Amino acid sequence: MDYLLQFGVAVVATICFGVTFRVSPRHYLACGLTGAVGWLVYVLCADLLVMSAPVATLAAALPLTACARFFAIRHKAPITLFLLCGIFPLVPGAGIYYTAYYFLRNDRTLFANKGVETIKIAVALALGIALVCSIPLKRSKQ
Amino acid sequence: MDSERFEESLDLILDAGQALLENGGEVFRAQQTMEIMARSLAVQNFHVYVLTNGIFASARAGDGAGVSRIRHVPLVSIHLGRVEAVNELSRELAGGQLDLDGARRKLEDARALPQTSPRADRLACVVGSAGFALLFGGGMLEMAVAALGGLVESLICQQFGKRRINRIFTDIVAACLNTLCALVVSGFLPVLDVNTATIGALMVLTPGVALTMGIRDIINADYLSGAIRLLDAVLIAGSIACGVVLAWLAARGLGALPW
Repeated sequence: MDYLLQFGVAVVATICFGVTFRVSPRHYLACGLTGAVGWLVYVLCADLLVMSAPVATLAAALPLTACARFFAIRHKAPITLFLLCGIFPLVPGAGIYYTAYYFLRNDRTLFANKGVETIKIAVALALGIALVCSIPLKRSKQ
Repeated sequence: MDSERFEESLDLILDAGQALLENGGEVFRAQQTMEIMARSLAVQNFHVYVLTNGIFASARAGDGAGVSRIRHVPLVSIHLGRVEAVNELSRELAGGQLDLDGARRKLEDARALPQTSPRADRLACVVGSAGFALLFGGGMLEMAVAALGGLVESLICQQFGKRRINRIFTDIVAACLNTLCALVVSGFLPVLDVNTATIGALMVLTPGVALTMGIRDIINADYLSGAIRLLDAVLIAGSIACGVVLAWLAARGLGALPW
């Protein structure tokens, strides 16, 4: 039930980015679903499979990008529309914040930990997008 | 092809490329779209090189003279509706459903697609911030404070954007005020989890666009453009961190916080 709520909130939060980026309204739902799928997989991986944040991000980026590609083909729109909005729940905003926070607290161990983790998450995100985007499709438009 | 039509075609192609770049299209998309349009409009010997903030193109006119065009695209404001419209235009042009004049009209339509009203923009920011506060484990109180932070951020971004104040400073101020909001509220309501409330609103500022576009540019072997975008992402992340640190410093300086 809690996961259902999280899924719903992630849909809404992602659509908000769609509004700020002026995606045409007919793509709102697709954008929201893309982002929510990514977030749900991330939470499930982190909670149930006890993965570390970077690994869970990688695991979540794969279905997220696949979703974005699926909607891009189905709606005949550039994949950017769905990817740009959908990626936001996974961007390491918390990592950036905690890095700054521990830097200020003069806690070098935690600062270094959080800093490295933030970079790891960003790299995992990059890897996930790169992997799925690079798979050639049989019927790609020439 | 007579020279007037040639000039018109070339301008149309460049305008379309510029519209893509300006509104948040990837570099390879701009490049590909322009090449497809050139082929459809029968522009001979069309070569184009696109960077994140510039387009360099050359072509050969009917009388054999070389023509080159350069466009500088300094400002990017994301408007994915326009990217989609230009993309559709190029597809229709390639499919032969549009002629030169039709394409020109369509491009003008795409460029005239309205911006979101500032109010809708603010609302999206507020709802998004509250949503992220919940996703990161906050309760009602954290959501409310994050919503307030999101409102402050979007106001700052809109006002600073109007006055053409640079992006880095805008991010620092927005992150700083957002954190201050949470800190001030926590001064009155100590139960507030400052971290969750701040992170919720910070998510709106995070460099998700720059990161994603940078990765996509690099996958498509536009290493220079990708590097520019990734550098942008690092800078934005750094400015957010700076803003947060400044806010905590200010709060501590005022003695508002037991450290």
